[in-house]
Amino acid sequence: MSSALNLSHEPVTKIPHGKLVMWAFLASELMFFSGFFGAFIVLRNANYDTFGQGSALLSWPLALVNTFILIGSSLTMAMCIYHLERKNNRFFQLFLGLTILGGFGFLIVKFIEYSSKFEHGLFPGQEHHTLFFSFYFMMTGFHAIHVIAGMIPMSFMWFKSFTKKGYPYPVKVETLGLYWHFVDLMWIFIFPALYLMIPYHGAIGGH
Amino acid sequence: MGHDHGNVIPSYMKVFYTLCTLTVLTVVAAKSLHFPASWGTPGDILHVSIGVIIAVIKVIAVMYIFMHLKFDHPFLRFLVYVPAFLFVVLTFALNFLESWDYIH
Repeated sequence: MSSALNLSHEPVTKIPHGKLVMWAFLASELMFFSGFFGAFIVLRNANYDTFGQGSALLSWPLALVNTFILIGSSLTMAMCIYHLERKNNRFFQLFLGLTILGGFGFLIVKFIEYSSKFEHGLFPGQEHHTLFFSFYFMMTGFHAIHVIAGMIPMSFMWFKSFTKKGYPYPVKVETLGLYWHFVDLMWIFIFPALYLMIPYHGAIGGH
Repeated sequence: MGHDHGNVIPSYMKVFYTLCTLTVLTVVAAKSLHFPASWGTPGDILHVSIGVIIAVIKVIAVMYIFMHLKFDHPFLRFLVYVPAFLFVVLTFALNFLESWDYIH
């Protein structure tokens, strides 16, 4: 009988460790964003006019474009996992590439939006709308950081898939996919909260 | 290896179309639903609630199909339900309670 320890054990829960940890991380991330939303709701209800005027200055069509980009990239992420599990490396590369492209597209639109805000003096510390734009930059900024954080390992996997060995780790891609879908989920709440739920029906005109 | 859930592409496409439709619905609801000004804060609560309900439907679709919660271990569902439930309760409760404070 061998005296060596057998370390090749199966997870007790039958869930891959990485995946379980990612779900736990996402649960904590949800609580992190809950803090933002909670503060946003409380202050919005106390400052209807300020938030109404600030929200009306945002460009909801640009945010709508970003929503469709993120929904599309969520679909391509799910498709790339599907194809990797079936060892269709070419489709995996195609869909992962499209997902990364979606991330870039989102950031470009965000950059256009931010540039316009700075051009018009709409940022925290200015005389008007400071409170609303503090929330705007904080919530969308943290969200954009999450997008960038997701794109870095995705790019690594994509480049690795072109090597001779390819990228033979579907569970890792699935785990990263969970994170990417979560980024999409947060945008699903941020989009109506900041851009659409204007507390009064004033003139709509974004920058 | 990940679990093989069979051909899930039709389900993915259904979710994708549902998300696109609900996104358009969110914009239409936000831009066209004008409650009477006399409704004041309750009108705003209703306005926000419609947006939150549509967002919750979208989130459920993404979590169940794209994130594979439908096929995964029940423990994962439990792990997600608790913070997700708290998040939705917080959104609704703060919106209602805070607004209520300003009505009275």
